[in-house]
Amino acid sequence: MGYEADWTFNYFGPTKVIFGVGMISDLPLEVGSLGKKALLVTDPGIIATGMADQVEAMLGGSLAGVYSDIPQDTGIDIVDQGAEYARSVDADVVVSLGGGSAIDTAKGICILLTEGGNLKDYQGMQLLTRPQTPHVVIPTTAGTGSEVTIFSVVLDKEQGQKIFLFENYNIPRVAILDPKMTEKLPPGLTASTGMDAMTHAVEAYVSQQRNPISDGMALHAIRLINTYLPQAVEDGSDMVARGQMQIAALIAGWAFSNAMVGMVHAMAHSLGAVCRTPHGLANGILLPHGMRYNLEEIPDRMADIADALGVETRNMSPVTAGEAGITEVEALVKRIGMPTTLKDAGVKESKLEQCSELAVTDGAIVYNPRFVMDPEEVLEVYRKAYFGGD
Amino acid sequence: MAIDVFTDEWCAAWEEKLKESKDFPVYNKGWEGDVGCIIQPDPEKGLNDEKYLYLDLYDGTVNGIRMVDKEKAESAKFVMIGPYVRWKQVAKTELDAIKAMMQGKLKLKGNLPYMVKYLKGTQEVIRCLTLVDSKFPDD
Repeated sequence: MGYEADWTFNYFGPTKVIFGVGMISDLPLEVGSLGKKALLVTDPGIIATGMADQVEAMLGGSLAGVYSDIPQDTGIDIVDQGAEYARSVDADVVVSLGGGSAIDTAKGICILLTEGGNLKDYQGMQLLTRPQTPHVVIPTTAGTGSEVTIFSVVLDKEQGQKIFLFENYNIPRVAILDPKMTEKLPPGLTASTGMDAMTHAVEAYVSQQRNPISDGMALHAIRLINTYLPQAVEDGSDMVARGQMQIAALIAGWAFSNAMVGMVHAMAHSLGAVCRTPHGLANGILLPHGMRYNLEEIPDRMADIADALGVETRNMSPVTAGEAGITEVEALVKRIGMPTTLKDAGVKESKLEQCSELAVTDGAIVYNPRFVMDPEEVLEVYRKAYFGGD
Repeated sequence: MAIDVFTDEWCAAWEEKLKESKDFPVYNKGWEGDVGCIIQPDPEKGLNDEKYLYLDLYDGTVNGIRMVDKEKAESAKFVMIGPYVRWKQVAKTELDAIKAMMQGKLKLKGNLPYMVKYLKGTQEVIRCLTLVDSKFPDD
C-alpha cells in the first residue's frame, strides 16, 4: 500500500454532489445559482418514463428548452445541433438527465456554448483554458460516473470512430444523485451498468496512474458494488441498494477520472465499435480475464481487491488471494444474471482479431499495469473471454 | 559541448540521433502526420519568447526536426502545447508526455488514440533527445 518517496500525483474532483431520495427537488435552486435559463438534455427513453416531464415541471420558468434527439451512442452532429438549439433559446446552464450518452452530449454542448465552433475543433486533451458553461447532471443509471469525470466520448460518423475529449475545465458543476431517478432502470441494464462501475473501480486501483485518493475511492466502490449490485438487480425498488450503487458509481468515476482505466476498457471500447456490444456488458465479461492477465504484475493490489470483495485473504499469498478475488468477480457476474462469455453476449469470433488491433490503439491501454501493445496478447485474452475459463 | 535548446543546431543534433535509431523506423511504421510543439515562454527561467518546434515524421522516416514559425506549428496534424518547465521535464524524461496531457500539464490538439498506437515511437523520439547534450535557458 506504500508509495515511493519521490512520487507525485494530481487529483481533481470539483463537482458538488447532492445525494438522497427526493433530492431532485434541489434542482431549481442549483440551476438558479448557476444561471437563468436551462437547457434540458435527455433522450427518448427517459422521456417515455415520464422523468423528463418531472424535471421540466421543476425547472418551470427557468427552462429554456428540451433537446432529446439523442441516440444510444451520441455523435458530433448531435452535439453540434444541440448547441445550435441551446444558442437559439439563450440557454446559459445545461441540465442533463440520463445515462452516458445524454451526459456526454451535454458536456459537448457546454463547450460549444462557451467557445463556439464545432465539437470537432476540440478533439484533444486539456485544450480549454477557462471554465465552461455550468452543467448539472441527474444520472438515471449507476455506472458511467460521467457526472464527475473529465471525459466525453462522441462518435465521429464521417471518420467511423469515436473522438475523445479530456477537459478539466468541463467537469460538471453539480451531480444530483436521487436514487428514485434510477428506479425504472431494468435489471439487465442495472447489472451491466453496475459492472461498468466495478470495472472503473478495479482498473483505477491497479492503473499506472493510481494515487492514494483514487485508491481509497476505488476500494470503497468495490465493496459497495459487491454488496449492493445484486440487491439492486433483484429488487429495483430497493432505494438503499439503488442509492449505494449511485454512490459507488460516482466515487469509481472520481477514481478513474484521475487514475484512468486499463486494458479491459480498451477491449470493451473496441467491442463496442466493431460488434456494438454494450459497454457495461463487455466490461463485466472481460473484467476477470483482464484481472488474470495483470495478476502476476500486481499481486499485492489484486489481493487488496480480493479483500474488498470479502475474500478471507489472511493466510493466502498475494497471488492466491488475487486469484480468489477474480473468482469472486466471476461469481458476481453470474449472480446478477449477466452472460459470462462473449459468445453468449452475441459477439462473433471472427471479429475478435479486428477488435484486438483496435484495442492497442485505445487511450486506456496506456495505463494498464502490465505493458501491452501486442494485438496477439490482447487476442488471447479475448479468446478466453469468448469461450470462458481461464 | 552542450547545445542551446530551441536552436537549429539543437534540432539538427536531435534529428541525427533519431535517424541513427534502429528502433524508431520499427515503432513509427505506418505513422502519418506531422507534430507541432508550442513551448510557452517563461521569462523567469530565461525563455522570453514562445518557441515553435516541428517534427516531420512519416512511416518510420525522419524527414526533419526544425524550429518554425507559429503558423507552421499550429498547422500540424498533432499540436502539443505547454509551459517551458513542462517541456523541460518531458525532454529529461522526468515526465511522460501522455501522462502530462492527461493531467493537463500539456495540451494536445489531435487524435489521442492514434498517438497511443505509436506510443513506443513517441518514447523513442524523446529517448533520442536525451542523447543530445542539451543546454536549457535555466541550466
